[in-house]
Amino acid sequence: MNNMEEIRHLEKEIVKCARCGGCRSVCPVTIAEHRENTTARSKVRMIEAVLAGEVEMTPAVQARFEKCLLCKACKTNCGSSVATDELIMEARAKLVKRNGLNPFKKIAFTAQRYRKLFDLGLKMGGAFQGLIFKSLPDGSGKVARIPLPAAGLNMRRVVPNLTSNPLRSRKPYLSKAQTPQSKGKVVFFTGCTLNYMYPEAGEAVIRILTRNGYDVLLPDDQCCCGTPAFTSGDVETGRILAEQNIKAINAQEYDHVITACSTCGTALKEEYKALLKGSPLAGEWEKLSAKVIDISDFVVKYCDLIKFGNLPLKITYHDACHLVRGMGVSAQPRQIFKAIPGLEFAEMKDADRCCGCGGTFSAVYYELSRKINDAKVDNIEATGMDYAVAGCSACRMHITDGLNQRNSRVKFLHTAEIIDKAYEAGRKEGKV
Amino acid sequence: MNSSILNELRSIVGKDYVMNEKEDLIIYSNDATMFDHWPDAVVQPASRDEVAAVVKLAAKNNIPVTGRGAGTALSGGPIPLKGGIVVDMARMNRILKVDAVNKIAVVEPGVINYELAVQAGKKGLFYPPDPSSWKESTMGGNVAECAGGPHGVKYGITRNFVLGLEVVLPDGSVVETGNAVDGEMCGPDWTMLITGSEGTLGLISAITLRLVVPPVTKKTMVAIYERLEDAAKTVSVTMADGIIPTTLEIMNDQTIAAVENYLKIGLPVNAGGLLLVEVDGMPSTVEENAKRVSGICKECGAMEVKIAQTAEEVEDLWRARRSVGAAFGQVAPSKYSEDSTVPRSRVPELIKRILTIQNEYDLPVFICGHAGDGNMHPTILFDKRDKDAAARAEKALDEVHFVTLELEGTLSGEHGIGFAKAPFLKREAGEVGYRLGQDIKRIIDPAGILNPGKMFFYEGKLH
Repeated sequence: MNNMEEIRHLEKEIVKCARCGGCRSVCPVTIAEHRENTTARSKVRMIEAVLAGEVEMTPAVQARFEKCLLCKACKTNCGSSVATDELIMEARAKLVKRNGLNPFKKIAFTAQRYRKLFDLGLKMGGAFQGLIFKSLPDGSGKVARIPLPAAGLNMRRVVPNLTSNPLRSRKPYLSKAQTPQSKGKVVFFTGCTLNYMYPEAGEAVIRILTRNGYDVLLPDDQCCCGTPAFTSGDVETGRILAEQNIKAINAQEYDHVITACSTCGTALKEEYKALLKGSPLAGEWEKLSAKVIDISDFVVKYCDLIKFGNLPLKITYHDACHLVRGMGVSAQPRQIFKAIPGLEFAEMKDADRCCGCGGTFSAVYYELSRKINDAKVDNIEATGMDYAVAGCSACRMHITDGLNQRNSRVKFLHTAEIIDKAYEAGRKEGKV
Repeated sequence: MNSSILNELRSIVGKDYVMNEKEDLIIYSNDATMFDHWPDAVVQPASRDEVAAVVKLAAKNNIPVTGRGAGTALSGGPIPLKGGIVVDMARMNRILKVDAVNKIAVVEPGVINYELAVQAGKKGLFYPPDPSSWKESTMGGNVAECAGGPHGVKYGITRNFVLGLEVVLPDGSVVETGNAVDGEMCGPDWTMLITGSEGTLGLISAITLRLVVPPVTKKTMVAIYERLEDAAKTVSVTMADGIIPTTLEIMNDQTIAAVENYLKIGLPVNAGGLLLVEVDGMPSTVEENAKRVSGICKECGAMEVKIAQTAEEVEDLWRARRSVGAAFGQVAPSKYSEDSTVPRSRVPELIKRILTIQNEYDLPVFICGHAGDGNMHPTILFDKRDKDAAARAEKALDEVHFVTLELEGTLSGEHGIGFAKAPFLKREAGEVGYRLGQDIKRIIDPAGILNPGKMFFYEGKLH
């Protein structure tokens, strides 16, 4: 029973849980499944039972810990401030150590450790994806030709196109400020989704920054932030990737690290801390962490909000979990939308409820993840707006899938794309 | 549990809705108290007929059955003390009707209180009982435990809103009690017998509720006192004056400090106590009553009375009240949160006695509650890992119950008896009352399969 001792230190956190059940009202999985075994308090209860020797860290326990989106809603709502997300991640790590990792994840995460190979693989994926997928006529993505359940590919699932020309290949290491004088240097941490799937949104980020007078550095040796690995319990891979990123970023001279993917942002800013316990790079991380900022937050704090031109779009906004609860950003995008002339903005119901993606969650529990997403898409459509906007590409992937499956007329744009379009409209109006 | 019974359960509710792995049993072993006992199986029926079939099967095989809503109970109600089958009502969550003309709602037991409030609101109606757990607790649980809430002073608690019930009895037969017109039975009021019976007499499968018209307007204010006793006195004087506020919530100095520390909204941390008062109704009455209440507060010794001017200020005050539980969680990890209820004229005495208990057992006992209807929430805070503190907390808790009964109060204003408070039930009910409670249960549930070991059938030591 030595696995008991490995999680003994969690006791001081779990004792805070009052078992009140407040987490039931906000957990997207509980709301979809109506089961106590999906709640945060049930996870706490299971850890307690393991510590009391009432139950072993069985694969059945592992399965219950896997069924969580890590959306942090329970943590934010918890009256006793139990760090549910950290508890779940720690438990997952211990469970993986004991019972092993899902084989598909194992292959994927191991490949990620070899940055260049991973990069080549995804680039080739961009070239050869037609063998496995067929494109949708509107270009918004692809569906699998054959079901690949192990890889989380249901045949109706719409996945985004992998680009054969990723962002970091398209853009040079340095994109210079477009103003006569540079206001500073920023590192753009692209993350995988903006690099391989939505490079246009990544280009929008770079244009926003250079237009506002910042030199943008794009270190080529940055890699996956590691979230898929360490949230799945593969702490080892997570740490390797974290250390690689810290080295790549801190080799630069910079004033800010810009993220436009809140999952990467939360990892860089917060979650690396636990991952790097005892690492020689922990100090380096602290330097970096203080400078990580989401693009919408950066625009509000350091960019011009009066140079937006008329942008007659009708949009609604989805608060990505890691942006609103991970990085504490939710007022900023709304402030920006208010500042854009002609833009019509309507709040959706439960804007900050998780879209159901949860990264690898949507691969393992596709149908459940779809059910949660359907509620989100209902709320989007109920606004009557033409565009759903969010600051997260994982949400984009999942919500686009949901919109496509019901042939919705609603399209998706990244917050940065809205900002970029507004600046472009402003330039045409002569606001420079 | 043997596999043939499990298979029969699966054929009744579907295999996805029967759980018997120990990883699931463990999490259906507790409610919001610190106690637990494992069931042998958990089922999630989707209809009354499925509930009835499960109960019939259990009755045939003499297996205990314990109902469960959201598991937010504070007295051990949904804990399966004798194992057996837990019937989780979470899937029976349809609002069957909100009738604006007759002002009634018909709901399944798994409907969440908040959902009902929202749907009633859409039709211009109002369901007042609002326990702190309203965002997650279910109507079945609210009725079974007879939940209350801050609105209780003026509007009453759950029992004042239940018109009729559909109940699966311990043999699997189904009875309808009350009616949708006025709730009046021809004969004894069986609806009230089931309301608050905590799943010991039947499993509620549908509820007909009375709804009311929401007040046109309301005013929320906070009165700040140097001495908590003066706040308590204000309550009696206000009610004696003929004003019935919607809400009269009291908080002592420790509670104020804990909430302020948690929320940082500028509560008066140096005050001895405060009252949160809300009056509602027609604009002219509200204006007049707010003025009168404010005057009474001052006469009783309030240092300051602030009437909330904006929606944000109102929200802040309510947030302060609703965050009490959370704020306590920041002070100590374990708590006994009680619902000791005394005649409102005796609230000052109760408070005084509780403060003595706090000193005697050297544990913080925070005081807050619905002072308007005498329903107080003394909360004993400790760390259950500290065995000595846990033992003292238990003794202090006993003392709170004794004092409550001594002041002609009741053990439970809204949380129910379950088994946590069962040792004191005989003292409250009296010899005859206790025997009657047992007799009624024996007639309805002779084999004792529904929620055994609770209330009048508690098997531990009686005080």
